[in-house]
Amino acid sequence: MVAISSAHWPPLWQPRFETLMKRILPFIIILAVLAIALGSAWYLTRSIPSSNTVVGSQQPVPRSTSSASPSSPGSQTPAPQTVANAGDPGAEPPHVLGPPTAPAQLEEFGDFECPPCGMFHPILEQMHQEFGDRLAITFREFPLVPAHQHALAAASAAEAAGLQGKFWEMHDLLYERQKTWKTEFDVRPVFEGYAREIGLDLERYRRDMAGEVVAQRIMQDGKRGHSLDVKGTPTVFLNGLEVPFESLAAERLRVFIQREIDRAGKQK
Amino acid sequence: MKRTWLYAAAALLALLGLADAIYLTVEHVTGQSVRCTIVAGCSEVLSSSYAVVAGIPLAMVGAAAYFSVFDLALLAAFGYRVAATLLTPLVIAMFLVSLWLIYLQAFVIHAFCQFCLFSAAITFALFVCVLVARRVKSV
Repeated sequence: MVAISSAHWPPLWQPRFETLMKRILPFIIILAVLAIALGSAWYLTRSIPSSNTVVGSQQPVPRSTSSASPSSPGSQTPAPQTVANAGDPGAEPPHVLGPPTAPAQLEEFGDFECPPCGMFHPILEQMHQEFGDRLAITFREFPLVPAHQHALAAASAAEAAGLQGKFWEMHDLLYERQKTWKTEFDVRPVFEGYAREIGLDLERYRRDMAGEVVAQRIMQDGKRGHSLDVKGTPTVFLNGLEVPFESLAAERLRVFIQREIDRAGKQK
Repeated sequence: MKRTWLYAAAALLALLGLADAIYLTVEHVTGQSVRCTIVAGCSEVLSSSYAVVAGIPLAMVGAAAYFSVFDLALLAAFGYRVAATLLTPLVIAMFLVSLWLIYLQAFVIHAFCQFCLFSAAITFALFVCVLVARRVKSV
């Protein structure tokens, strides 16, 4: 009896099972790949921001990248830190727009050739208009060489203009006309045109462009950026705490600035 | 048999493309790729207006396309003829889009992103794989 059943069973169910598996297996693989793909996307979305200097959208609170900061990354109310206490000092005097005693001190590390920096420029201008004397904006040179071929020349042009007291005029022109000059082969005549436009002494501008002072200022700002673990541009610190990159939109940045001003008001 | 292996190879290639596209999508969504870094190219390409189609990151569209290619190639490897029929136009469309994206990087944006180039290489390999699979005998 046993011999009969064992002789008959395998041919009856085995082909059916194989056929069924052949039909079902690809769909099982597809579902497994879909699960792995979605899982890895979720994991990467969470891990990439926390492993770099940019904080993820789950944590809409600025955090400090400086080792001098005592506040933990997960803290919901990080203590404001003055930028002067953190990292390398950078070029002195820095380019500051607004009073040095303003309750909100914003420091941007920028590259004039970087498109996101160009897009961030009008947002910062809007913040300057809205907050007036309550916000001080400091610009730090962070030319990404060799990624951006004209970034160093643009930084030099801005610094050379700064030596004649017209840093912000050149800064604005470089950002506003970024798309015009970044595709040029030789940017020197273009920048000289800007220098002429803002009324610089052209001979002095040319001398300063190639001078040691300008080169040193750029290097000192770069050193400060590296000491604060700046990896890309624009990187923005507000009262010493890094603002997450995805929070650099006007509506979110406004909230952060206002919060710093409110905090300073309460402490008085 | 040979055709089955070609479709299996296409499925594996699509997995590589999927991994690349998922990475780029995450970079885009988290804002990493939009920030300029010391590595040239990607920030220029991924922050350009061509990186988003109707509000959706192009990398996400690419991930969906690679996942579809993987599904169809796998089903084709298991003998589903309809899947093999659908796979060819999809891969041809992806091949043409890749050509267009390379043109944009070379002549419009003037910057190359290595992850985009890797994706294009995968698509070209898929294109060859699928075309050869259509020409060879199934057994």
